[in-house]
Amino acid sequence: MASLLQPDRVLYLVHGEKKIRSPLSTLYFCRYCSELRSLECVSHEVDSHYCPSCLENMPSAEAKLKKNRCANCFDCPCCMHTLSTRATNIPAPLPDDPSKTTMKKAYYLACGFCRWTSRDVGMADKSVASGGWQEPDNPHTQRINKLIEYYQQLAQREKLERDRKKLARRRPYMPLAFSQHTIHVVEKYGLGTRLQRQRPGAPITSLAGLSLKEGEDQKEINIEPAQALDEVEPLPEDCYTRPINLPEVTSLRQRLLQPDFQPAGASQLHPKHKHLLIKRSLRCRKCEHNLSKPEFNPTSIKFKIQLVAECQVLLTLTNPVENITHVTLVGCEEGDPEDINSTAKVMVPTKELVLAGKDAAADYDELAEPQDFQDDPDVVAFRKSNKIGFFIKVVPQREEDGDVTVSFKIRHDFRNLAAPIRPSEEGDAPTEAIWLTHHVELSLGPIIA
Amino acid sequence: LGDTKSPLIAKIAAGAVVCVESEIRGEVTIGARTVVHPKARIIAEAGPIVIGEGNLIEEQALIINSYPENIAPDSEGVEPKTMTIGINNVFEVGCMSQALKIGDNNVIESKADLGRNMILTSGCIIGACCQVNTCEVIPENTVIFGSGCQRRVQTERPQPQTLQLDFLMKILPNYHHMKKTVKTTSAVTPAKN
Repeated sequence: MASLLQPDRVLYLVHGEKKIRSPLSTLYFCRYCSELRSLECVSHEVDSHYCPSCLENMPSAEAKLKKNRCANCFDCPCCMHTLSTRATNIPAPLPDDPSKTTMKKAYYLACGFCRWTSRDVGMADKSVASGGWQEPDNPHTQRINKLIEYYQQLAQREKLERDRKKLARRRPYMPLAFSQHTIHVVEKYGLGTRLQRQRPGAPITSLAGLSLKEGEDQKEINIEPAQALDEVEPLPEDCYTRPINLPEVTSLRQRLLQPDFQPAGASQLHPKHKHLLIKRSLRCRKCEHNLSKPEFNPTSIKFKIQLVAECQVLLTLTNPVENITHVTLVGCEEGDPEDINSTAKVMVPTKELVLAGKDAAADYDELAEPQDFQDDPDVVAFRKSNKIGFFIKVVPQREEDGDVTVSFKIRHDFRNLAAPIRPSEEGDAPTEAIWLTHHVELSLGPIIA
Repeated sequence: LGDTKSPLIAKIAAGAVVCVESEIRGEVTIGARTVVHPKARIIAEAGPIVIGEGNLIEEQALIINSYPENIAPDSEGVEPKTMTIGINNVFEVGCMSQALKIGDNNVIESKADLGRNMILTSGCIIGACCQVNTCEVIPENTVIFGSGCQRRVQTERPQPQTLQLDFLMKILPNYHHMKKTVKTTSAVTPAKN
């Protein structure tokens, strides 16, 4: 089975916006459209945020406020590993009687991988295990916030003007107040979805967006333009002669992970809060159904919905579904536009192959009747429960070294087990089978001379 | 190993805990308060090995004083060089050390690999799976870590593992037989292997 161990041997063609060939283990199968989908023809959405070390869930709004960082966990500034809190006992004078000393616990951060500790950069030990550690403040925060506010206001104004111009041309009964273009302008400066929310219950009118704006902040924000300096600080005199203390120099990666300060010396590398990871859900672009939806709990790796292609589409003639499936193989004709990679001609068996259904209890059921399919021994090599092995003839077309690749089309019947939207009136009608055709490319390996 | 000049015995000082299942070959001296776990191997092929006090040598660690690669074992004129290991070092599980001179308070983490021409001073930490085979003296308090063997200097040396040593010296004799130690005052008696 090429599915898990040698993934690139058998490639399936996906008809999306781009023609993508990829192994079945990376594909999804939309059972509403009855088509294969690859990662490039689905839309990726953020499902939830969580911290990879403390596995704490965080709602999206809170994550945005904290700049997608965890509040409790830190990263080592030296090797980017997760920092752990260690405790030591230090003697400290009692508050009542300064002459006696008692053992108090002091906590410091340490990295198990590169042995960095918070004492290396001069951070004092804290008396609480968590919550005592602060990131140093960026001296430019105020200026940056002011700039962000100014540009947000500018973006709003631009958007309003653009909307006004568009609305002057539109008829009043058109429901869309926001064009696609203005939404992108709003997102340009990170305004978020504030302007897109409508009052609940009110109909979406073309002028609703404008009225939302006028009630809110009208104050003008002025910023001072940045001032250019004529003189720059000169380099120190021993710049070329001073010997470099190599352990003190930070690497580019260490420096750029702290864009606020970008310290050149290792003694200024402060730990940063750990970045959050996301769980994503996938959605088919044509029918808007979810193909993959993970569980909300960060400790769970299961999925609420997971429509992986391996569970629905035929593998190299192992039948994953529980019904009997009929398969026909058809070679690609001359001039087939999808047949670009094959370097050999293939003669596939022309008869229809029948595969038994997958039966999980078959291994344990000793009294099962042997399956009675009349197999032509020239075509079928072996048959075992839901697997079948068959012969194909391959004639390589080229003599040079390279992999022999053949392509053909598999046509099989598929029963959609999704619940019908409208219950059929005749009672329990059996689900109809539809025929699916997939273009498959099989890489057989190099030619041995 | 058939050299008649040096006696083929291991001198284990009193207070050291050396398990019988460890393999000690050649002229090896082990100081007091050192713990050698079962399945550790200390092999003095091309010269004697002197191990100081308070060291912790864990399972499957290999400390070997072997011949350099370009010299055949039987060639004449090869002087045996002594390998010296200081005090309070830790050789973690599965590491291999051929370094001729190791100072104090070093930690050689699991599956690390030290070449013959290295000299460790004190407070050095050779990270897990790091293979270091250069011809240099590692400065004090250096940490070598990562797949690319990056280095950095730490501000404080690693603490000696006194708690762990005390614990092991109490517990190991309950479950393993120990090799015989020599009395410090009397003459050298052959140790039972």
